[in-house]
Amino acid sequence: MTLLPDWLTHNNDCRELEAMLRNRSPESLETMAARSRAMTLRRFGRTMPLYAPLYLSNYCSSGCAYCGFASDRTTPRRKLSEEEIRREIAAMKQLGIQDILLLTGERTATVGFEYLQRAVEIAAESMQRVTVEAFPMSVEEYRELAMGGCTGITIYQETYDPLQYEALHRWGPKKDYLYRLETPERALEGGIKTVGLGVLFGLSDPVTDALMLYRHARHLEKTYWRGGISVSFPRLRPQTGGYEPTYPVDDHLLARIILAFRIAMPDVELVLSTREKPSFRDGMAGLAITRMSIASRTTVGGYREGESPEEGQFEISDSRTAEEFCQALRNRRIEPVFKNWEPAYNGPSGEIPGCS
Amino acid sequence: MDHLQLAAHTFSSRLILGTGKFSSAALMLEAVKASGAQLVTVALRRFNREQLEDDLFGPLSEMPGITLMPNTSGASTAAEAIKAAHISRELSGSPFIKVEIHPNPQHLMPDPIETMEAARVLASEGFLVMPYISPDPVLAKRLEDVGCASVMPLGSAIGSGQGLASAAMLSIIIRESSIPVIVDAGLRAPSEAARAMEMGCSAVLVNSAIAASDNPAEMAAAFRDATDAGRRAFKAGLMRESSEAVATSPLTSFLGEQS
Repeated sequence: MTLLPDWLTHNNDCRELEAMLRNRSPESLETMAARSRAMTLRRFGRTMPLYAPLYLSNYCSSGCAYCGFASDRTTPRRKLSEEEIRREIAAMKQLGIQDILLLTGERTATVGFEYLQRAVEIAAESMQRVTVEAFPMSVEEYRELAMGGCTGITIYQETYDPLQYEALHRWGPKKDYLYRLETPERALEGGIKTVGLGVLFGLSDPVTDALMLYRHARHLEKTYWRGGISVSFPRLRPQTGGYEPTYPVDDHLLARIILAFRIAMPDVELVLSTREKPSFRDGMAGLAITRMSIASRTTVGGYREGESPEEGQFEISDSRTAEEFCQALRNRRIEPVFKNWEPAYNGPSGEIPGCS
Repeated sequence: MDHLQLAAHTFSSRLILGTGKFSSAALMLEAVKASGAQLVTVALRRFNREQLEDDLFGPLSEMPGITLMPNTSGASTAAEAIKAAHISRELSGSPFIKVEIHPNPQHLMPDPIETMEAARVLASEGFLVMPYISPDPVLAKRLEDVGCASVMPLGSAIGSGQGLASAAMLSIIIRESSIPVIVDAGLRAPSEAARAMEMGCSAVLVNSAIAASDNPAEMAAAFRDATDAGRRAFKAGLMRESSEAVATSPLTSFLGEQS
């Protein structure tokens, strides 16, 4: 049985958040939406920074019961060569994308740290901002990624419930709950500027998971005062392997969770991907969300080839083109922003010349 | 004439606009025009020469009568801000640099130690340095000592709309400063801009309150008028505030009595 740290289980400053999550009345949702909208507008204005994911590889050593890329799936495995990465990035740049999220599965002999590090360097040659969603790494590895131009990582705990976590992660390095939990700390320690947290809603009790996610974010904010925190709200989608969510989260509850996070964390970046359908994405864009993905492909590569016949990690619900999505944002008086970073700010955070 | 003087540069407007957070570049340009601002700040991270429809710098640089003041928003250390200042000068040709160093991307409070270092280096390199700072009177004097063109203390946290929450500290900075003091961040209502100007600020910088408004151009015009009104009131001399009643019989008539 995993012994959870106190900061994850004993923290009373989330009583207001819990009250917002447990109240399910439609009136309270409207009230929260109005408050969240005003807070978002005041702090973040009427702009929406955009990014797009690039799946570098679907090799994986873990056995997550809910994932289309788990190592027991029959999905054909491949990884992009350096040349293919360059071509994919060129195709993404044609769509206007300047902010890229590089993804892999859990570390394998075929796709390990050196491969990822090289991909970051290649991406940083032409993209304005490079972030990574891959496997947990050591402090030293994160420092090297930051040196190569990686400014942020995303690492979801998936569920904070240790029993569900144990059951769902059937084998592989991801079975180690605490090592994964401490990954954002190692990344910030290594000089990565921003860590993205999240749970995969549908795997466990959503309110408990949301509260623990909040405690995790607050713990990081207090411990690593230079660290940027973002929170994502992925919800389980139909995947290869046919896993059915044990705790389905409907639109109303997901919206409530997102709004509650905005109210509880007024300055934190909240992210929504193309897992969600257009109406939900467009609606939440004006209310709480401050960073979104566009024109996503969840197959390895996929930008250059257009629609790929392969099966991706999960099904995309918002398949609008970059231009269609930007127009939808503009119709809601939100400006899509492709470049919201400057490579002059790359490099490990907190390194002051003469002190490092 | 009553002008804002920043080193050798003279501006008749005392309202400076931030250009992020608007729902479109067109609305931002309309607001800049309506505000009468002659000095606007734009983040280097929003310069996008590869993709012109995403670029804020290009359209602003083509606006007649506008001086650009690039800012280093996104930098978390002096080294990053210095690098950004060099790139900004090369791209924009502007001698101004608004030094913004906020190591914590959530609350965006400026780092006084890194700001001090960046300001010292950049001022020695000939930049007109406009540092965004917490309302710290000692830091303001230290920045003046190293040759900054102004200091830009926050009224309250960026995007908080808490107005002049730091008024008491601001008034010390204004009283002691020999360079222009420009209140930057936190202003929500035009009346707060007027109040900052009445206190003796040289100018105010506004972004969120205009960009997030339902009618940015109209709000920009309201800030223009309020800034002017506050400045005129300051120049005319505000009546002293008093809570004590004035006694009808003098309280000190005994002074000078012979016995």
